[in-house]
Amino acid sequence: MIVFEDVTKIYDPDVVGLQNFTCHIGKGDFAFLVGASGSGKSTLIKLVLKELEPDEGRILVAGRNLNTLSRRKVPLLRRNIGCVFQDFKLLPTKTVYENVAYALEVVGEPRRSIRRKVPEILSLVGLSDKVNSLPHEISGGEQQRVSVARAFVNHPPLLLADEPTGNIDPDTAIGIMQLLVRINRTGTTVLVATHDRAMVDRMRRRVLQLDNGRLIRDERRGGYDHPVEAEPLLQEV
Amino acid sequence: MRFSFFLREALGSIRRNWVMTMAAVITVFISTAILGAVLVTDRNLDRGATSLKNRVTIEVFIKDEAGPEGQQALEQKIAAMPEVKSFTYISKDDALERFKERYGDRIVDNLPINPLPASFEIQVNDADQVEVVAQRFFDDPNVDNDKGTTNGVQYAQATVRKMLGTINLVEKVMWVVTGVFGVAAVMLISTTVRLSIFARRREIEIMRLVGATNWFIRWPFVLEGFMTGLVGAVLAALAVWGSNWTIFNWIKSTDLDYLSIEIYPLWLQAGTWPLGMLFTLALLGAVLGSVGSIFAMRRYLRV
Repeated sequence: MIVFEDVTKIYDPDVVGLQNFTCHIGKGDFAFLVGASGSGKSTLIKLVLKELEPDEGRILVAGRNLNTLSRRKVPLLRRNIGCVFQDFKLLPTKTVYENVAYALEVVGEPRRSIRRKVPEILSLVGLSDKVNSLPHEISGGEQQRVSVARAFVNHPPLLLADEPTGNIDPDTAIGIMQLLVRINRTGTTVLVATHDRAMVDRMRRRVLQLDNGRLIRDERRGGYDHPVEAEPLLQEV
Repeated sequence: MRFSFFLREALGSIRRNWVMTMAAVITVFISTAILGAVLVTDRNLDRGATSLKNRVTIEVFIKDEAGPEGQQALEQKIAAMPEVKSFTYISKDDALERFKERYGDRIVDNLPINPLPASFEIQVNDADQVEVVAQRFFDDPNVDNDKGTTNGVQYAQATVRKMLGTINLVEKVMWVVTGVFGVAAVMLISTTVRLSIFARRREIEIMRLVGATNWFIRWPFVLEGFMTGLVGAVLAALAVWGSNWTIFNWIKSTDLDYLSIEIYPLWLQAGTWPLGMLFTLALLGAVLGSVGSIFAMRRYLRV
């Protein structure tokens, strides 16, 4: 689903985003991207969305070669990628319903099917009673669930989450993670960038650890088989 | 594309950002009203100039001794000139009648003979040709010139031609001023739109992230600009036309009516530019608004 081959991205002047990064995330995978702030997690996400161009290396996403993908086709790429952000990125002037519907309007979904799909996904994330609320009228956890609903309403093959639990309390965060897992079970590849250590511990999924733009660890099952105390990530923190 | 969705987006955005919308409407109103005022003024100056030009007449007085033959010779000479638009023969009696009308019967009644010469009044096609045509009669033996002078030929002198020149210059200056105002209007409108779009740049960023194409994002903004521009311009057209109408009626009711100003047509008009005030300004406002939006959005839509 995502292939990075020897990708390097350097910001001016001499700030490393990613350095010789190579990895392969298969269809249906669920992977965590961990590392301190500035280690390159957000750079990686932006490269996948083609918000940034790599300086070197090749990137394939959902069968598309991003190096040769024309600018005009970028919107089409993004429709295949659901996105969840730390700051939710909801349209502040639109209701919960309209925010989710917008993702469908964008792809030209018929109105009938929008009226069917939006309530369906909102009930999946447990927000059936907040349909007509504006984002500022609901809690952070609820806003994040709207964001997840919007990301998934198109059933994209890939879902990216950049610090999805960064702004919400731990109990609510678990709910969000459970949602992501359920989405993953439908066959959607999920990539979560986070430094929520407890969450990564609990989930025991594939972990890619970045440090200063380099991949320093890639463990299937997150390497959490051995005691948590011995975990290098934890010792570091 | 789905027009109704874009329309709803645009209307919703106008409702939410109504302060900004008002600012934009006022900007368009002022800019297009200035242009409308220029259109009206220009039209009336043009009219004034034309009527002045029509009044540029050459009078050629005929010697009493020339007799009917001399008069005929002159008439043939005038008729043969391509510059001449029309001419009238004023006989000695006609001249006396006119004199009477102007100065009263008493003087005329005391005259033993009719001292006034017969004459031709000549209208030329173009005010610039007056001089050339007049000169052709300077040496004519049938013309009532005093010895050594050309006072048998009377025509509009420098004053009128200077007035015409002034009107011409004023017209040119006005178009330059309009051009400057036009540029200022475009800048004002695009600044207004840019401000309102800057306030919503996060929204645009989000739209791009969920995979909206540039035109999908642009359409509601363009429609918004279109409607804003249209409303401002239509209001301006009505205001200008209304003032034009009021001034017209006011002048007609006073003794200034020799100014004979004209009302610029509201809907349609004859001539090379078929649109009247309302359609001209509405078109301009709508184009300004939509193009202004497209320009103001450019930097937020770079992928």
